[in-house]
Amino acid sequence: MKDLPFYQAQSSEAELFERAWRNNLPLLIKGPTGCGKTRFVAHMAAKLNLPLYTVACHDDLTAADLVGRHLIVDGQTVWNDGPLTRAVRSGGICYLDEVVEARKDTTVVLHPLADDRRILPIDRTGEVLIAPPSFMLVVSYNPGYQNFLKGMKPSTRQRFISLAFDFPTAAQEEAILVGETNIDAMLAKRLVSIANAFRALRDHDLEEVASTRLLVYAATLIKDGCEPTLACRAALVETLTDDPETAVALREVIDATFGK
Amino acid sequence: MEEYVGELWHKLVTRVANQQHVEATVSLNEISKAAAIFFRALGGDAGLNLSAASSTRHGARRSWRDRLASSGERVELSWRDGETLRLPEKIGLFSERRLNRDLYFWLVALSAADIDDNLPWIVRNQTATLATLARFPGLASRYFQLVEAFLLLRTLPSKLPSDEAAQELAIRQALQQPGSVHALPKSKKPFQPVQLWTHPSPPVNTGNKVSTSNGAPERESSDDKPVEKSRRRHTANRTDAPDGKDGFLMMFRAESLFSWTEHINVNRPQDEEEDVESAALAAEDMDTMTVARDGETNVTKLRFDLDLPPAGEDDTPLGEGVSLPEWDYKKQAMLPDYCRLQECLSLQAQPCELPPQLQRTARHLRSQFQALAPTRTWLKGQQDGDEIDLDAWVRQETDLLIGAHPDARGMYRAQISQQRDLACLLLADLSLSTDAYASDHARVIDVIRDSLFLFSEALSATGDRFAMYGFSSLKRGNVRFNRIKCFDDRYDGLVRGRIKAIKPGYYTRMGAAIRQASTLLAKQPQRQRLLLLLTDGKPNDLDRYEGRYGIEDTRIALQQARKLGLRPFCVTIDREANEYLPHLFGVGGYAVIRKPEDLPKELPLLYAQMTH
Repeated sequence: MKDLPFYQAQSSEAELFERAWRNNLPLLIKGPTGCGKTRFVAHMAAKLNLPLYTVACHDDLTAADLVGRHLIVDGQTVWNDGPLTRAVRSGGICYLDEVVEARKDTTVVLHPLADDRRILPIDRTGEVLIAPPSFMLVVSYNPGYQNFLKGMKPSTRQRFISLAFDFPTAAQEEAILVGETNIDAMLAKRLVSIANAFRALRDHDLEEVASTRLLVYAATLIKDGCEPTLACRAALVETLTDDPETAVALREVIDATFGK
Repeated sequence: MEEYVGELWHKLVTRVANQQHVEATVSLNEISKAAAIFFRALGGDAGLNLSAASSTRHGARRSWRDRLASSGERVELSWRDGETLRLPEKIGLFSERRLNRDLYFWLVALSAADIDDNLPWIVRNQTATLATLARFPGLASRYFQLVEAFLLLRTLPSKLPSDEAAQELAIRQALQQPGSVHALPKSKKPFQPVQLWTHPSPPVNTGNKVSTSNGAPERESSDDKPVEKSRRRHTANRTDAPDGKDGFLMMFRAESLFSWTEHINVNRPQDEEEDVESAALAAEDMDTMTVARDGETNVTKLRFDLDLPPAGEDDTPLGEGVSLPEWDYKKQAMLPDYCRLQECLSLQAQPCELPPQLQRTARHLRSQFQALAPTRTWLKGQQDGDEIDLDAWVRQETDLLIGAHPDARGMYRAQISQQRDLACLLLADLSLSTDAYASDHARVIDVIRDSLFLFSEALSATGDRFAMYGFSSLKRGNVRFNRIKCFDDRYDGLVRGRIKAIKPGYYTRMGAAIRQASTLLAKQPQRQRLLLLLTDGKPNDLDRYEGRYGIEDTRIALQQARKLGLRPFCVTIDREANEYLPHLFGVGGYAVIRKPEDLPKELPLLYAQMTH
């Protein structure tokens, strides 16, 4: 078995994931960017020893990108499976990251897979694949308000059981920083305190708030010998805002934590 | 001559006595935005405004120089209430600019600490200091630097009478070892002000506070003298306008010399003060400024237009009107059926053409916006696509067979869809304040009118579904919602006529208008639904719909709009909008147009950016 990717459980999400997998239920994970959704799926795939097929969804993603298409090889057309088809054939986990980014007509191909039929009809080849019991469909999205133009079709949404992620509690987040980068606990505490101060600015002064991922970046820089205020400016302040006055305020918070 | 000498003497002694370090002074304006964000980041209430505190007479012992110059008797202290965080307008306490700036941020950090307001002042500040230092240990070094520099400025206890000395020692100890002092010893004279601490409530508590900027909309006079923007707030002392019967009581008061600060119900027309500067100076010197609830302040000069515009008769009401709820932030509750909104249609509108001066710009916009019109096409010869491009493939195979150099083009077909699945409702603020002049040539309402014209020209070129409404209000029972174009109307001469007929109404009850607009927009089937708000100022109305009440109601209305899947966006020409719009619309949810005359051209472009 492969090494398990590090994952700090927030509550009983791992148990719920396993139950969903055992009972052939598709899963929807929602939460802000960088709070550990993708890591969680990778962790669970490794734990359940399943192959993981990840698709980062985008505006131009078509059904053919998921299911597959004909390619031309040496004057012949050859069918080439897309990631979704491969996941179904091999009985793995297909993970569609940021699924709302995909067009609504694209996500409709998920419908027959995401209910009790668990089939994937492929129009072009006339095949109908029946998903093996180990196949699992997982989708995620970030309900942050920059995405409010794009919702999920209710008919798609209602085929999933849903798991809401948020940023971990302060103690958990400190454990994550220590686990990921091996920095000392006091430093982790201060970084988390900065992140929580920035998170209070959500929707008001900052469009996106400091994610756990960014904190890990800051901690990595510090672990590498970077001066803490400098690391926080590079990893947090400049990443989060382009507005000079907001940046001044964020730097004040960092100075207030680490001293000047 | 006497006067001249007196003036020189005044200048001399005030310069000697002035403890403020002018060259090192930091003003609130310089740091207000950063300070506000800092406050919120530290956990402060996001709904609070930041503004300058009024100065207070502290009554403590002053140095002989100060007494000579009769200066230094008032001080600006920091405090906060349910609506506002108040900080000194300027800080020049220390000779080093860095320290003055640090003091601002220290005061903000201290104000953000959530400490029981009912604790005794000295205990509360020590508790807040400890809490702040515990959460932000990096502030400690700066705090102790501030304390050290601050203690040097205070009178030494050895130079004070014993009771005051005991008090001074307690304050010093509380500053140096926060948490160690449990009560402030009493003394006859008040202690010297402690600028490093905040006050839980207004320092001079004299009854109800009335903000100087509420009530009727202000009408700027045309010969507006540029008054230096002063954020300072005067302690307002609310007085009910005495009616004539009680007036004689004042005549018997021993100190019945009429001074500026007393409120006298003289039937004086609001003519402009001849000497504005002297009035402003007098106002600065006052302790309290008496404001009757229905009256006007004499702060600088404000003129009120008491003639209500004749809007009512020109409009035909459509339907019965709707009841809408309103959010009361003090009760944290929605008041059901609190406002009555009446949709109406202008009677006077005659079909008309686009005004000639706009035609060129309109043509230009139309051609730009036609490019946004929806298309759905198959692209051939793509490297990647859903289908095989058989033509390309056959061509390539043929090329290979006859030995020609094969074309390196792709062999797939891809469908691109540029469908604009979009509906937009534009809501224009038609309050009385739009009657003010935006520039030398045009009133705000003219700018809004031109914007509506060009906006409709541009949108009708794209084929996007759009509607336009205007709103104004007169208290909660009378919110007017003027239909200019509903979604099903065609953009034609009649709509142009209605645009032409818009005129300033009354006040700005934004929440109700947003709720109605959201309801209309939410009925549209489009995937993207944009609620565009065009305004020139804060929400306000004659009743309590002002200040934070109006802002919070609008905020809740916008949150509901977002829940309905709408996207609110605000375009404003209010230069101070940065102080409250982030709270309402979030970052990237609004645009401030600095030059109002640019609005007509900017609005369609903003729309294109938002939707493309």
